Amino acid sequence: MANTETALKEALTSVEGATGVALVDYTSGMALGTLGGSKSFDMNVAAAGNTDVIRAKMRTMEMLGLKGEIEDVLITLSDQYHLIRLLKSRGGNGLFLYLVLDSSRANLAMARHQLKKIEQELEI
Amino acid sequence: MTLVQIPTPPPLPVRDKTAGRALSPMLTRLAEERATGILVREHGTLYLAEGRVVHAESPFAPGLDVLLTAHGTLASAAWQRAAARASGPLRAAELLLDEGLLPAGALELCHLDAVYDAGYFTLAPSSTPGRFRYDNTPRVGPLPSVPVVALERETLRRRLLLHRLWPDPAADGAPLIRTDPARAAPVTPRQRAVLDRVDGVRTAVGIARNLGRQAFHTLVDVRRLAAAGHVTPLAPHPPEPRVTAPSPLPPPPVTDPDIALLKRLRDALEAL
Repeated sequence: MANTETALKEALTSVEGATGVALVDYTSGMALGTLGGSKSFDMNVAAAGNTDVIRAKMRTMEMLGLKGEIEDVLITLSDQYHLIRLLKSRGGNGLFLYLVLDSSRANLAMARHQLKKIEQELEI
Repeated sequence: MTLVQIPTPPPLPVRDKTAGRALSPMLTRLAEERATGILVREHGTLYLAEGRVVHAESPFAPGLDVLLTAHGTLASAAWQRAAARASGPLRAAELLLDEGLLPAGALELCHLDAVYDAGYFTLAPSSTPGRFRYDNTPRVGPLPSVPVVALERETLRRRLLLHRLWPDPAADGAPLIRTDPARAAPVTPRQRAVLDRVDGVRTAVGIARNLGRQAFHTLVDVRRLAAAGHVTPLAPHPPEPRVTAPSPLPPPPVTDPDIALLKRLRDALEAL
């Protein structure tokens, strides 16, 4: 079981094209840990904003009566990929991993696979 | 004719607006001087080491023990054994970490959750001044510590978040009762668990402890449920019915479900 910092570091170094990563609590919108990002890309703001994305998706699924759970969410920009992966935990901890990728360098399938592995190591 | 030089008057003292916005000027000062000790406020306690928050406790927020044991991260017997040998919850957690009974990541996350959660209540507006005791016991350990500015920023953000969800803070402290909304909005599984524990006795904080969740997160759920009309706070002091006064005619029974909606709208407008 990795600690938060190790997990974030691993995500940033091992995933090809990763430029920022955050572990976020989606009830409060608080980032429990961030790594990477830049002056023009504040990971804390991105974390809080993406909380609303997750909530909206969950509410929609609730309204539609879908029983499945969100595994991950992918948002593609013209030059970036944003990958959101919800942490599965017994107690409903409500955390997600948020990964920002440079689309010219990233391999989406590989990134998704690696993020899944990191999530499992961090599982609570 | 002599030219009289009028010296420019000294600038009038102006209240520093940025200082007034700090949640606790005392805490800001302590962070600047990198103090080590214990800050006791009305609604909780902050443990500072070299100006950073290493631990926070509040009677309103479930402690680290509750967060760790409630969902099977740790057996409660293991926690009790460690707590008996250690001087505080933080030492107990470090003991468990050393023995390998607790994964580092899980402990870190629960610890951060507990610090921000208790910090939110500790930094709530209080009616009495806080007290600080210089003390060498708090120290920066293996667990992450939080800068004071980060805790203050997060507390303000959480306050705004709650205000945005439902501006009436009455549901935070009072016992809650269920109401039947005219048109039931869908409830998420997390909110369902909270709603199932609303029994007219428990407050939001009591529900948080019962579920082993952070108190602030439960406040978020409760305010959302209040906004959707699923719960309402029980009035703190029901007015005593006076026998002598002539009882007014009972209002005619109303069956229009829109009344509930209008009432909630009125409450929301009043709370603005």
